[in-house]
Amino acid sequence: MAEQKRRLRRAAEACDTDEFRDPLSNYDPAVYDDGLELALCEAQVRDMQITPFATFPATLSIETAIATMSRNDYFALMIVNDEGRLAGIFSERDVLVKVAEQYEQLKDHPVSEVMTPDPVVIYETDSPAKAVNLMAVGGFRHLPVLGVDDRVVGILGPQRMARYIHAHFDDRAPEPPRAAAGPEA
Amino acid sequence: MGLRQTFKDEAVSKLPLRPVLTLPPDGTVRQAVALMKQHALGCLFVVDAGGRALGRFTERDLIRQLAADPGVLDKPLSQVMTPPESCIEVGAPVEAVFNEMKDLGRRFICITDENGRMVGLTGQKGLMEYIAENFPRQVKVQMMQSKLYMDDREGA
Repeated sequence: MAEQKRRLRRAAEACDTDEFRDPLSNYDPAVYDDGLELALCEAQVRDMQITPFATFPATLSIETAIATMSRNDYFALMIVNDEGRLAGIFSERDVLVKVAEQYEQLKDHPVSEVMTPDPVVIYETDSPAKAVNLMAVGGFRHLPVLGVDDRVVGILGPQRMARYIHAHFDDRAPEPPRAAAGPEA
Repeated sequence: MGLRQTFKDEAVSKLPLRPVLTLPPDGTVRQAVALMKQHALGCLFVVDAGGRALGRFTERDLIRQLAADPGVLDKPLSQVMTPPESCIEVGAPVEAVFNEMKDLGRRFICITDENGRMVGLTGQKGLMEYIAENFPRQVKVQMMQSKLYMDDREGA
């Protein structure tokens, strides 16, 4: 026992203050030019407006899908399978590209035949910047938002994104990094 | 310079512009669909012989028309087009496009030169591309498609 205590004391002395290095001392926190950039990069998608949203079964007919989009001004329908998991998305672009020219032949078919299966999604814990990237580089106008359990919790489109950006337009520039490293107010 | 300032300082001409698709008023919805499909663009303008805009036809109009009348494909555009909306001049700040989109929910905004001639089309997608472009470090490094967890365990 005594031997063990001596060893512990020696170990404690060895890592005494002079020897100690803060493992984060050479870590530079991200610097943002204004509050808007901070809001895009440090917030999460769940802080944005992602509801209301609606999901539809894969058995929905194309005719009903189009009527629903027209009546409610939906730009894209999220299609879910029997377990309520996201199976695909049926967007305005799908109507233009796959449906419009053969509408009369296709209108009684299920929407699952023409939807975009396995769409690109965003998780509620991702940053708004990632959503901007998916919209810009990927060209997806509407992104289904999933929770950690892969269930649909919302949908994010350009309109909601624009409102989010606008709400943070006049945010103050973030504090310089040194002050920002202190405890949060 | 922050993103906010860039919005105020830079002109609309810095936005990625898409071509303006046009058809005459006696063109059919079927022709419009084919043209929009070919350019992967959801909006076209109906113009008279002098190139003046008489109306527009968008993906949204297509859905409304299909819901109302499944046989709409052979109708002339003059019967289904919606009135053209106001345009923005190339010299206006990017913020002008942003405000139109936010307040009026407009998806497409046409850009005109000093003489009022339509030179391009921008909108929600153009603006998102612009933000990503001006914001490369934070936005572009984001992975395109990533899950929260890995399908397979890494390592042993």
